[in-house]
Amino acid sequence: MMADQGEVWGQLLMAANAGDARSYARFLQAVTPVLRGIVRAKGVSLGPAGCEDVLQDVLLAIHLKRHTWKPDSPVRPWLYAITRYKIIDAFRARGRKIDVPIDDFADVLAADAGPDPTEAADMAKMIAMLDGRSATIIRKIGLEGVSVAQTGAELTMSEGAVRVALHRALKTLAILRERHVK
Amino acid sequence: MKTDDLIRALAADTVHQPQLRTTLILGLVPSLAIAVLTVWVVLGFRADLLTALATPISVARIVLTGVLGIAATRLALLLARPEGSQIARLWPLAVVAAAALGLLLWAYVTTPAQARQMAIVGKTMATCLVTIPLLSVLPVAALHYVLRQGATTAPLRAGFVAGLAGSGFAAAIYALHCTEDNPLFYVTWYGLAIVGVTLVSTLIGTRALRW
Repeated sequence: MMADQGEVWGQLLMAANAGDARSYARFLQAVTPVLRGIVRAKGVSLGPAGCEDVLQDVLLAIHLKRHTWKPDSPVRPWLYAITRYKIIDAFRARGRKIDVPIDDFADVLAADAGPDPTEAADMAKMIAMLDGRSATIIRKIGLEGVSVAQTGAELTMSEGAVRVALHRALKTLAILRERHVK
Repeated sequence: MKTDDLIRALAADTVHQPQLRTTLILGLVPSLAIAVLTVWVVLGFRADLLTALATPISVARIVLTGVLGIAATRLALLLARPEGSQIARLWPLAVVAAAALGLLLWAYVTTPAQARQMAIVGKTMATCLVTIPLLSVLPVAALHYVLRQGATTAPLRAGFVAGLAGSGFAAAIYALHCTEDNPLFYVTWYGLAIVGVTLVSTLIGTRALRW
């Protein structure tokens, strides 16, 4: 069953990297509960909100590094390597050391966000540090669920410009988080 | 921000980055071409280049450093992927180093005792020790760029192989100019130049290749 899951993820990510946004959203939604389970299993001491922060770090990293996945190699080792790296990073940032054997990941059960998903605090802080327009674009598309086209219309930007601005904003977020972490 | 909101923002970002292999080719090929061109224009190829290329002991320099460059580049490309640190095996690099040391030993034994010191020092040691690191700058920088675009989970090892790859290629290119065909010279000084560049690249890697 686990092998099948990896295969499904692989197909979704392959379609995503070929430009299929819907497959990409499904991929992220499919891996999130599993990654949340891993982060919670490793980061009990961080508390649910802290774990959600780390999870969002992991998701942002997966997003910005998705071109490093080779379509002919299995998704799971790739995914877990990023997750492990970011969990270790999160602990280091909090002045702690953690041993994260990668073999453990296979046994972790997916964790539900729960009825009232934890609000992670870090990302909101980082978004507030972006320039006004970038922050608006991320809030509109993420929090309000406005489409790229509609966001463009509201900000009198072309759709392409919104996409580029969104991409840059996400990259900047990752850099801000890295700096904030250090 | 809730994770579902983040996912929505991530999924809306459809700007794609090129595959690492593409980035590598676009970065490394021009930087090696520039290095060859620089050697050709500034230093000039050795006059007897074709003869040298047919002489095993002379061409061994290019083969050894070239193989080092290719093997280390492949490792760099592997280590640029997050799961690469679990898969990468560095022993092929040790094989190249062992072959070079074997050649050095062979040359030491076959060179008469009174001629050894002159063979080691040679005539162009300084040029060699300056030129190889200079020629390494662009290739090493190109490899570091690829690794930055990638997601290495082993910054130290990634910096190490990037240094070996860039300086290996640089030494192979420098050998098109250099006329010192005795392994006592080239294993020693090419080797020292490569070790120096690799050390610097490793130190940079541990800091700059984190993400």
